[in-house]
Amino acid sequence: MTRRFLPALVLIALTRGATPASGQDALAQVRARGALRWGGDIQGGEPYAFQDPHDSARLLGFEVEIADALARRLGVRAEFVQNDWSTLIPSLERGDFDIILNGLEVTAARRERVAFTRPYYAFTETLVVRRDDVTLHSLNDLRGRRIGTLAASFAFELLRATPGVDFVLYEGVEEPYIDLEQGRLDAVVLDNIIADRYGLARPTLRAAGTVGDGTYAIAVRPSDTTLLQAIDAALGELMHSGELRRILTRWSLWNERQDHLAVAATAGGTRSAPGTLTLSQLVLFLRAAGFTVLISTLAMGLAVAGGLVLSIARRYGGAALRLAATTYVEVFRGTPVLLQLYVLYYGLAPVLTLNAFSAAVVGLGMNYAAYESELYRAGLQAVPIGQTEAALSLGMSRRLTLRRIVLPQALRVALPGIANDFIALLKDSSLVSVITVVELTKQMTITAVDVRSWVWPGLLCALLYLALSYPLSRLARRLERRLVPVPA
Amino acid sequence: MNDGAIVCVRGLRTHFGDVEVLRGIDLDVERGEVVAIVGPSGSGKTTLLRALNYLTPFSHGEVVIAGHRLHPGMNERAHAALLRRVRTRVGMVFQNFHLFPHLTAVGNITEAPRYVLGIDSAEADSRAMALLERVGLASHGHAYPHTLSGGQQQRVAIARALAMDPAVLLLDEPTSALDPRLVGEVLAVIADLAAGGQTMVIVTHEIGFARRVAHRIVVVDGGLIVESGAPDDVLERPRNAATRALLAMEEKTSPQRPRVAEKKGFSLPEAKR
Repeated sequence: MTRRFLPALVLIALTRGATPASGQDALAQVRARGALRWGGDIQGGEPYAFQDPHDSARLLGFEVEIADALARRLGVRAEFVQNDWSTLIPSLERGDFDIILNGLEVTAARRERVAFTRPYYAFTETLVVRRDDVTLHSLNDLRGRRIGTLAASFAFELLRATPGVDFVLYEGVEEPYIDLEQGRLDAVVLDNIIADRYGLARPTLRAAGTVGDGTYAIAVRPSDTTLLQAIDAALGELMHSGELRRILTRWSLWNERQDHLAVAATAGGTRSAPGTLTLSQLVLFLRAAGFTVLISTLAMGLAVAGGLVLSIARRYGGAALRLAATTYVEVFRGTPVLLQLYVLYYGLAPVLTLNAFSAAVVGLGMNYAAYESELYRAGLQAVPIGQTEAALSLGMSRRLTLRRIVLPQALRVALPGIANDFIALLKDSSLVSVITVVELTKQMTITAVDVRSWVWPGLLCALLYLALSYPLSRLARRLERRLVPVPA
Repeated sequence: MNDGAIVCVRGLRTHFGDVEVLRGIDLDVERGEVVAIVGPSGSGKTTLLRALNYLTPFSHGEVVIAGHRLHPGMNERAHAALLRRVRTRVGMVFQNFHLFPHLTAVGNITEAPRYVLGIDSAEADSRAMALLERVGLASHGHAYPHTLSGGQQQRVAIARALAMDPAVLLLDEPTSALDPRLVGEVLAVIADLAAGGQTMVIVTHEIGFARRVAHRIVVVDGGLIVESGAPDDVLERPRNAATRALLAMEEKTSPQRPRVAEKKGFSLPEAKR
């Protein structure tokens, strides 16, 4: 028995991991598997697809219900696959799931990469401002203002096509509205579903107008024509039977716009993105690299100064000071820098409003100060006691001894480590994209979406990082060679 | 207390944990006097020397040095100002030199005059060059310590201590860490200082050198001064067993050592060129 089943099992195992180019019909695969895998990001939150607060194993949302209804009509069950929203299309291409069903707006640029079904929801772009702001009404008013939106969204395309807008990109739906309340932004442009739930729920904010419209549709790999037809047909049935309307009504999403969906041809995008890297994108890359260097250098300066204070407090301070410095080091070394950036930027926002750039520098600097202090502490311990005795016996004060005799020697011991930390910081600075700073890595992900490829932007990004870090690592090695033979 | 004394030690006791290292030391050093402290290893002679500028704290007794009184229970933090005043006037030369490796010879010598006394750098530099010439290293001003031999490093260390124009110079076994070939050049410099009237307290194993340069030899054994007097008295007619043992040891080892003390004239390699 097992002998006969073994080849079949191997085949199933292979096809599960196989790329979409394997030639197998996608619809047949879905049927064979008994599951329609749909990709989405639960960070998008209510009402799209999100975890049931009472049962974390369960998903809720209007898209969850649409997925279930579609799967039922195909005679299979729906299987959700979690994926970052901004990389849903590359993951679909990789074959991580069969369809994207997650507030994906139909644009011309996306149409060149994926095949869309008929739309299942018609949205508008809502301009949200602070209640006391009366100056902003339309896209043209946004010139020279700081406007927040989601990375890779339709609203982002709209803003980018509007000259002079200073846009700020977010990964989550709460954060842009927090920043708008804090005054870090002048307005937020996002789909009406998001604006209604996350923006207009805040009493300090109001809707200033509608600045665009479009539709959500289900994306399928262009080669999977049978799957596309089957899903599109199933969606059509959901519409005609009134099931889609019932789902949307249940989530308070139904409005007269949805009536036109069945007849509407899918809306076009606002602009067509170029397929290759252009000179202006290259300039953006170089600017982002400059930003990476600027943030890293300032943060490193802060880290060196902070680390020095911490290490001196730990070695020469009284009991209370030592405890405080040790606690600082353990806390900042023992928790993720990503969490520290979030807390600094969003968590402390009610009491301390830093702009994104300052928060990035301070956050990275405070984190690296903990590592630097350990480095200097080792350096201080490496300076022989005889050096201190010689300085004291010349009438030098303890402070002068530290500054003129002990620290210069300790820093020499620590220098190669400092250079290494600087290289690490250069790369860790990519984390500040979570607090809306567009540095090198973030620019890479933005450009990758534009040119619909990760290869060239990725290579260029890697090359720029190498160009920055390689001279540093050469310097570190030279310092090590030069400083090691000097006996203390 | 003796009027002419620049160092005055009374009832000095020190213990490290349960071990009593100094058990009651009385010692006066006159202005211009050169005192050699000799004694077997572990006798407490280095501890005594380091107590004079309070690098090693003591537990009983007192030290009056260069006009300042040191007492038990002082610490670096609470008595920083007094200790700084004392150490500004009392020079120290260490067995292992302890030159500052990140500074040149001139940098080592000018560090304290510039940053403690506030002398401007041009003047400090020219005084440093004069001192380097005095110790026979005029051409090594810009050398870093690791490029110098042990004897040269110790001569820079002596110049560094002299730059503060100390009332008393304390030397802790200044030739013990040196290659035997290099001992002579350092002893020559110290002898030169003695001839110039520099007050010095020298802890040393070089009995022959002590005999030639010191005005007085103090023999320490078991944390006590067991014998003290003019070199000829102490070394020719030793009354104490420890002194006799020390002399017997010196007799045995001296053939291997350069007999610098017996030579009539010391020559400084560069200064006399």
